[in-house]
Amino acid sequence: MKRLRALNHKAQLLEHAVQEGNGEEVQLMSSVVGCTTTFDPGWEIDAFGGLASLCQPMEADLYGCTDPCWWPAQLADGLNSARDWTDGKNSALRDWRELQTLFPGD
Amino acid sequence: MKKLLVALCCVAASASAIAAEYLLTVTRPNTLHVIDPAKREVVRSITIPGDGVPGTITVPKDGKVAYVLTNRMESVVGIDLDSGSQVFRADFSSPGRRVKGFFAAAVSEDGRELYVHQAPVVLGRSEYQVEDTYIAVFDTADGVGAKPRRTFPAPRRISLLAPTGNKDHLLALGWDMYLFNTRSGTIEKTYPIRHWDRPGLGEPDVLAMWGTFEQARALSTPYFVANTAAAPDSADAFKAGIAVFDLDAETLKTVEFENAQTAMFSSVINPAARNEAFLVMNQLSKVDTETGKLIKRVDLEQTFYAVNISGDGKEVYVGGALDKIAIHDAETLEKTGEIMMPGGADQSIGWLRVVKR
Repeated sequence: MKRLRALNHKAQLLEHAVQEGNGEEVQLMSSVVGCTTTFDPGWEIDAFGGLASLCQPMEADLYGCTDPCWWPAQLADGLNSARDWTDGKNSALRDWRELQTLFPGD
Repeated sequence: MKKLLVALCCVAASASAIAAEYLLTVTRPNTLHVIDPAKREVVRSITIPGDGVPGTITVPKDGKVAYVLTNRMESVVGIDLDSGSQVFRADFSSPGRRVKGFFAAAVSEDGRELYVHQAPVVLGRSEYQVEDTYIAVFDTADGVGAKPRRTFPAPRRISLLAPTGNKDHLLALGWDMYLFNTRSGTIEKTYPIRHWDRPGLGEPDVLAMWGTFEQARALSTPYFVANTAAAPDSADAFKAGIAVFDLDAETLKTVEFENAQTAMFSSVINPAARNEAFLVMNQLSKVDTETGKLIKRVDLEQTFYAVNISGDGKEVYVGGALDKIAIHDAETLEKTGEIMMPGGADQSIGWLRVVKR
């Protein structure tokens, strides 16, 4: 973490908050509300360091995550910015190959 | 289709007849399904007007109108289950102000009022202004185009709402459980979960996104909590438990039943044996909430998010995520049937509710 440097105004605000002892005001969620509020581990391993508690198959969780914007960095934000990402692709298991990569300009 | 309508109407008209149970679920893009679990078949699919994706389903006691949270969590649509028509619609957002209801919607048991926890954001040209959250109260008689009749402030992070046995009370699950008085708009009692003070235990974590409480009239959710008395690398460093709120007695019970070793997303209480809870994700687990013991666990063929149970407590239904509802024997947990969704459409975050007709 010592190698991280704040580059923009918002990041500098966060840095100041930590320096002023307000870092504890940011807490993990126990009930999530809205996008970009979940600090879960990624899809790579489950909470127990293994794979058994990941969704099976992976596609079972694909729309379950994009619909409530659960993984905003890894998946399209189905709530707001990419509402049409899955249009016409009603089965994640069969249609995932047709899902397109999103870019900031999309 | 007409035969189905006649059948549903006849069943509804014959109050003395044995009530039949139907499952409700939703799939992409914006479809509500009525399912006969006894026949293992979808008996009706209703297209919900407007944009999807549907999730929360809430139904009053008479089982006539299903209220579905959809339109990217910005609308609730009421669908008459007999006619299939839209009889209620509340669109939360307006130009420049985006309002989401994140799972938390519930209709009163008499069907007159609809409660939605709402999170508004004003969309400025260069910034978003996050406004305070509240519970909006709709009069279902206002029909299509309904606006809130009143609102009252509510904490953030509320993901489930449920009417209790007191017609003026509404339970909300967030960091803690809050018992609202819907007349005064105040919190009458807080049941601590995140803020409990239990020596040797940390703050529990829950994923309460599926409301399933109509059969046993008990809202439940699995939780995971650090056992701070144990070494961090020991097997019992984290415990799995279940929180059960009795909607008639308005009491909360929490019990840990095992060392955390598998994820569980949602749970349901057996109405025929109220000490039994069924929890689901990649496994189906059966827990005794009185003794705090895991009774039985079986692996499932895939992930299921949502779980419900028949009124006689004999069959457990698991759904959500992909395009299948599986039926398991509540005693043996063996799979006894399955129902595929029309067109292979995913249920995703969709709820699984039971209505009696």
